[in-house]
Amino acid sequence: VSRERWATRIGLVLALAGNAIGLGNFLRFPRQAAENGGGAFMIPYFVCLLAIGIPLLWVELSIGRLGGRHGRGHTAGMFEVLWSHPISKYVGTLGLFIPYVVACYYVFVSSWCLAYAWFSLDGSYFGLGSLDEVGRFLAGYQGVEANRHFSSIAPAYGFYVVSFGLTVVILLGGIARGIERLALFAMPLLFVFAVVLMLRVLTLDPPPGAGPDQTVSNGLGFVWNPDFGAIANPQVWLAAAGQIFFTLSVGWGILHTYASYMAPDDDVALTGISTAGLNEVAEVVLGGTIALTSAVVFFGVVEARAIASQGSFDLGFHAMPLALEQMPGGRLFGALWFLLLFFAGITSSVAMLQPTIALLREDFGLARTPAVLATALLVFLGAQPVIFWIGHGFMDQLDFWAGSFGLLLFGFLEILIFTRLFGMARGWAEITRGARLRVPRVFHFVIAWVMPLGMGAILLAWSATNLLPELGLEKVPEADRPYVLAARWMLLVVLAAYWLAVHFGARARRAREPAA
Amino acid sequence: VTLAGWIFLIVAWSCVLGLAGYGVARTWKGD
Repeated sequence: VSRERWATRIGLVLALAGNAIGLGNFLRFPRQAAENGGGAFMIPYFVCLLAIGIPLLWVELSIGRLGGRHGRGHTAGMFEVLWSHPISKYVGTLGLFIPYVVACYYVFVSSWCLAYAWFSLDGSYFGLGSLDEVGRFLAGYQGVEANRHFSSIAPAYGFYVVSFGLTVVILLGGIARGIERLALFAMPLLFVFAVVLMLRVLTLDPPPGAGPDQTVSNGLGFVWNPDFGAIANPQVWLAAAGQIFFTLSVGWGILHTYASYMAPDDDVALTGISTAGLNEVAEVVLGGTIALTSAVVFFGVVEARAIASQGSFDLGFHAMPLALEQMPGGRLFGALWFLLLFFAGITSSVAMLQPTIALLREDFGLARTPAVLATALLVFLGAQPVIFWIGHGFMDQLDFWAGSFGLLLFGFLEILIFTRLFGMARGWAEITRGARLRVPRVFHFVIAWVMPLGMGAILLAWSATNLLPELGLEKVPEADRPYVLAARWMLLVVLAAYWLAVHFGARARRAREPAA
Repeated sequence: VTLAGWIFLIVAWSCVLGLAGYGVARTWKGD
């Protein structure tokens, strides 16, 4: 059976970059930099990019391309190729489970961006005047409370259906005519929008009645002025490693799936460099400038620090609307800002559904259309509790277990399997196979030793700070506990369902393949 | 921005723009 293929190399790179560039580039990175030493944060950040980020991109792309040669488009099948042991496919199932679970809430969050682009054009959130009121606007939109802005969740549900419908239509087109075409259209636009917004922010005048600190220069200084003491702080290194890991979208199983549609001898080395480069421009240049600089100009350094410490959603959906409504040309720039986030979102959403589509097509023999529609139905069902119970912490549970812990665990396990069970000799041969640039030999050592130890340390340190408080429901209000437990049950049921699907899928595939 | 802030900003921007420019230009040429 001939596999689908990417039509162009640049199309593949843009699709990979589209998957990597998400809300985190524009909202999470500037907060991490500002809170962890400013400019000095860039030292551990670049070290981690070179020692973990780029090599892990190479490893995942190599595993994916190798899997593609064996007709495997999901990590459960690929891990069988790497390590011929009965349990390998159940470890690889994480690369199906994680994207599915995240898709259940990610498409919903992306749809908020589409809605806010619309609300920017029609001026719905203009004139709200305070962070509190902007917060109530979002809560009303999410259906968490009925207020003067929204009386029900219907508009949010409508925007979700539109966003999800778009995602499904793109996937029905397949790899080259669906995902690649989307990337060729959306990624250049995303960069154009971001550059326009950056120029707007860099030429902002302080608003009337502003304090002396509310300047663009102070905004840039807030993100970039170095605090050299931070370099000696292990927490800062952990934050840098975490940011690199999350921003490049490694540890999902998605890069593997995308790479499985490469030609057998296509390059992964240059592809990895290009993907990382585009992601870093979106993050360091554009993401580092737009959101926090506007926050400083409109609210001052003290308030911007408070906003940054509250989280990415507060920066994106509370502070940015309030800054945009005071900005000259705010409706247009608001629409650009939220469309930019929507493009960043939808190019990642399509990627999250593709591994399950590959499972249904390759293992169960479904044609593309039924495979896409079945996957869409499963994601749609999984999204319902997220949409209706968002005020009860349901989404946060899925994000914690699949979107954070799951990624770190999967990344660590795959690097162990790749370097120790598949073996570094064969692994290095895969990475350098067809390479269009010479991969320096030092990366052999980095992948064999620095990465397993580094990834293990990140997983341990992250778990030590986050896992026990989360398991003990320490931060969960009493009334929300049933919802949180329901989310955990859902996670277990989904994981078990994927294990069963992988088990029976492998059997069905073997039954169809002629005996060797 | 302080002088040190500018230096970090300029060096970091140059690195990532160089990385992306090099990667995308060579990828483009190969198609």
